[in-house]
This record gives sequence, C-alpha cells and structure tokens, in this order.
Amino acid sequence: MTSDESVGVATEAGGARRQSWRRALRRSKRTRTALARIAVALAQLAAASVIVFALSTLLPGDTAEIVLGQQATPAQIATLHSRLGLDRPVLDRFGDWALGVLTGDLGRSLVTGVPVAEELAERVASTATLGFAALMVIVPLAMVAGVVAGRRPGSVVDRVITATCVAGQAVPEFALGLIFVGVFAIGLGWLPATGAGGSLGGPSVLVLPVAVLVLNQLGRLARQIRIGVAETDSAEYIEHLRRLGLGGPVVLWRHVLPAAVVPSIQQLARVIDGLLAGVVVVEALFALPGVGAGFVAAVGAHDLPLVQGYTLLFATTTVVVNLLADLASVRLLPDRESLS
Amino acid sequence: MTDQLLTARFVAARRARVTVTTVLGAILAGVPLLAALFGPLLAPTTPPGTAPLLPPGGAGTLLGTDVLGRDVLGLALRGGTTVIALTVGALILAYVVGAPLGLLMAATRRRRLATATLRVLDVFLVLPPLLVLLVLAGTGRRGVLWLLIATALGQLPALVRLVRSAASAPRRRATMEAMIQSGESWWRVRLFEPWRAALGAMLVDTGTRVVLVVTMLTNANFLGVGLDPATIDWAVVIQQNASSLYLAPAALLVPAALLVALCTGANLLADRMLERRGGRQP
Repeated sequence: MTSDESVGVATEAGGARRQSWRRALRRSKRTRTALARIAVALAQLAAASVIVFALSTLLPGDTAEIVLGQQATPAQIATLHSRLGLDRPVLDRFGDWALGVLTGDLGRSLVTGVPVAEELAERVASTATLGFAALMVIVPLAMVAGVVAGRRPGSVVDRVITATCVAGQAVPEFALGLIFVGVFAIGLGWLPATGAGGSLGGPSVLVLPVAVLVLNQLGRLARQIRIGVAETDSAEYIEHLRRLGLGGPVVLWRHVLPAAVVPSIQQLARVIDGLLAGVVVVEALFALPGVGAGFVAAVGAHDLPLVQGYTLLFATTTVVVNLLADLASVRLLPDRESLS
Repeated sequence: MTDQLLTARFVAARRARVTVTTVLGAILAGVPLLAALFGPLLAPTTPPGTAPLLPPGGAGTLLGTDVLGRDVLGLALRGGTTVIALTVGALILAYVVGAPLGLLMAATRRRRLATATLRVLDVFLVLPPLLVLLVLAGTGRRGVLWLLIATALGQLPALVRLVRSAASAPRRRATMEAMIQSGESWWRVRLFEPWRAALGAMLVDTGTRVVLVVTMLTNANFLGVGLDPATIDWAVVIQQNASSLYLAPAALLVPAALLVALCTGANLLADRMLERRGGRQP
C-alpha cells in the first residue's frame, strides 16, 4: 500500500467514524428531546389535575350550597359536605385526590354509587367508535382534497375545496348537526335524527354525527396537506425528478405526498383534539351514549366526582395525543431540534 | 402581447374571485349581524298565553311558536344580541389581559420567567374553555361572568405568543435601538412602540378569533353550561327546543341557520384578511 493509499484509507476511516459519531449525537439529541417532551406532558397532566381540583372545590362560595340550591336544609348540606369531603382540610383532600388520580381511584358517582372509573370505561367504546369512524373518513378525504387543491393552487377546484373547508371549520357542531337533521332526517327522511334508546344501534345512526365531525375537522388537515403539496410540488428537486423522466404518479406517491404529509402529523393531533371537543356536543345533540353525553349528564346532575373524572379523561387524552404527535415528529423529522 | 393579455385576464379573474368571496362573506355575516344589532327593535312580542308549538302562520305568527309558546321570529330577532355582546366582551377581556402580558414578555430580559409564564398558560390548551365551563357548571357555577372568564382564558396561550412574537420581531430592533439612543423612555421603547408594531397582527388575529369565540360560546350555551335558561339567545333557544325537533323545526333551524351564516361569513372574511397579509393558516 502506497502512502497516498494509506492516507486515503485513514481519511475514509476517519470520515466513517465522524459520521457514526454524528449519528449517535443526533440520536442522543432526539432521545433528550423526546424525554423532555414526556416530562412536559407529565407536568401538564399534574397541572391539569390541580386545576380540576381547584375549580371543583376551591372557588369562592360553598359548593354544596350552590349545588343543592336555596331550598336545601342544613342537614342536606352537611350530608353533601361529608360525601364530597368538604368538611376536611384542603391539603388532606388534595392529597387523597392526587393519590386517587395516580392509582386510578377517582371516587364514586354521587348519583349511582358506581366507581367513576367503571362509569367512564362503560362509555369509552361508543365514543371511540364515533371518533374512529370520523377519523377514518377525515384522513383519506383530507389527503385527496389536499392533493387535488395543492397541485393546482389558485384554480377553481382549489377555491371550491378551500371555501368548503373554511366554511365547515367555522360552524358550531350543533348548528351544522341541526341543519343536517333538518335536511336528511326531517326533509328527506333518509336517516335517523337521533340514536333512539340511547344506543348506537345500526350504522345509519352514525352517519349524521360522523358527517358533522368530518365537515368540522376536515379543513384543518386538508389545508395543511394542500400547503405541503403546493410547496413540495414546485420544489426544485421535484422538477429535477420530472426532468429525469419519472412519471407523474410516481413523483406524487413517492416524493410529493410523503414530504407533504409528514409535517401534517401535528395537525392530525389538532384534529383529534377538535374531535374530542366535538363529540361532547355531537353526542348531546344526537343522543348517543358516549363519554360526551355522560359528561353533560353528570354536569346536569352536579355529580362532582364523575365531572372530575370526565375532565381528567379528556385532559389526559389531549396530552397523550399531542405527546404522540410530537414524538412521531421527532422520529420522522430528524433535523427538527426543538418542539414548539 | 399575448402574455400581457393572459396576465391581465388572470389578474382580472383573481380579482373577481376575491370579490365574490368577500361579497359572499359580507352577506352571510351581515344578515345575522344586522338581525343581532337591530332585531330587538323590530321583534314582534308574543301575547301572554299563546299556545306552544304552533305551526307557521298560527295565531298571527310568521314562523309559529316554540315549546314555551314564544314567537319564533321574535326569538330569532332577539337571540343574536347576546351572541355578539358576549363575543365582543370575551375578546376585549382576552386582549386586555393577553396584550400587556405578551408585551411584557417581549420586553423582559428574564427569558426563563417568560418561558415559565407561557408554560403555565399552556395548561389552558389541555383544559379548553368548554371543559372548564363544564366543571364550573358541575359545581353549580354558571353565568355571564364565568362564560367570559373561561373563554378569555382559553384565548390567552395563542394571543400572548402572537403579541410577544409580533412585538419582538427582528425587524423592530433597528427602530428600538434608534429610540434608545435618542433617549426615549423605557415604557415608550419597550411597551408603546412594540404595541404599535403588534397592532396589525392583533387586528388580523381578531378576525380569526371571532369565529373561535362565537363557536365556543354557542357550544357552551347549547350544552346548558353558559347563560341562564331564561335568556333569549340563539343557542339557548335551540337547547330548549331540542326535544321538539319534529313538532317545531323552525324554532331550531332558524337560529341554527343564522349561526351557520354568521360563522361561515366571518370565517370567509377572516380568511381573506389572512390571505391579503400572506399568512393564510390551515
């Protein structure tokens, strides 16, 4: 081996070492970012549980008196004080509450006496079905709408899709739901107006609620994908691929779409957040037996342990969904150094 | 020559589209807005003892009566005032708290304090206003004050970030340095000038935030965790008549259509504003 060759081999070996060192550094950076994000999520959950406790027991005024109304007797107020633990020191109550949250013991419903965790578990399946069905329509529809609009920015098709998304996003779910019920249930008689009997029944019951959720949330994702497609489609490297003779569908499926869709993961988390808020209203409107309807019923009955349980369930789901979206972004967008 | 002609045609077509969207947005938002502002002056009064659930035309009413025997047209004309008043109130409260907070965070050199404040405000992303209102209603606390506070708090995380970033934009640094060198006071350099700089961004943000706030407030009122049931409000009327969907559809569909028109129109106009500033968001 000549001296030049040995220098070349040594340089190559040094380059490989540097590359593997950089990869390890990047991986450790990603791990640190992910761990920091998990710590933020845990802090958010802790803060949310403190606020829920404070809102439900520490605000000015006697909660028992407010809940029972002016007609309540002192004996009734004393009983509710005892059931809610309002006659004990605040720190004791908070300690018990925090311990209960950590161990999954959220107390018992004031109305039915059933453990809160059981009440929640009974209703989760129905809401998950509704939310999953909506998501299964939103994701492919948003991709189609985003690609069609993004490939011809400024065209009539783009304008129509964007205007529909803008309009659908703006309207309160219950108002949109009522218009749908007026047209498709009362006017045309094609679909049932509500989940009669408090059950999901057949798939036809889900059509209108899913349509409301889809129209309300579609715009967020479709517009994000549209922007990604429009930007990527006009990028220099895509033009270069086309010049090399790659067909339109290949460029679209292998290069444009992945680059446009990956940044939409964060937006997908916003969509799921929106669906969570939407199901409360939609389930109440269509009389569906999910956690949203249960939450509203618990509020109406002033069933405080159940209200706290539902609030924590919603807050936890929001935190977990956003955490997963951030972790996916860290994994799929390796150059991203920090999360906003 | 042909290129110039095509460009002129493209610009004309684009302007026409912009005008169509703006006019459509203005009409859609304008009708419910006019109904909300001037409707109470024109609303017919229901004679005491009027039967409930009368069909359109019954007892001299144009749209019939609702489940409580009230004239549906009167409810539609009176029910928008609270929607607009609450939206304006919640937005004012959000800006009164959020704008100074954002300006102070842009002015402070204690970055950790600013970051910690943002993290505290971020809790309201985990507990959005509707969730807070549901918890409050669960403890028997509901009404205008709670509605305004919860809605305003829910706007703070985004609002504070917006004001902070607009006030501390890098392009403002040269102006601020010139003001410091010319001996301007601290509050003028650090608060008043950044406030002027952030004003444009805040105005555009208000356009988009109006729709969010209207949606939030009406959802809360529909769920019965906002206004008192005796209040005449589009969402409250819908909630009260929800069980008589087939008997008095007008009592639900007329207020719902007005809300749909208001939100759609306002969002179209806000989207146009964002597009003109080159900052359209998904």
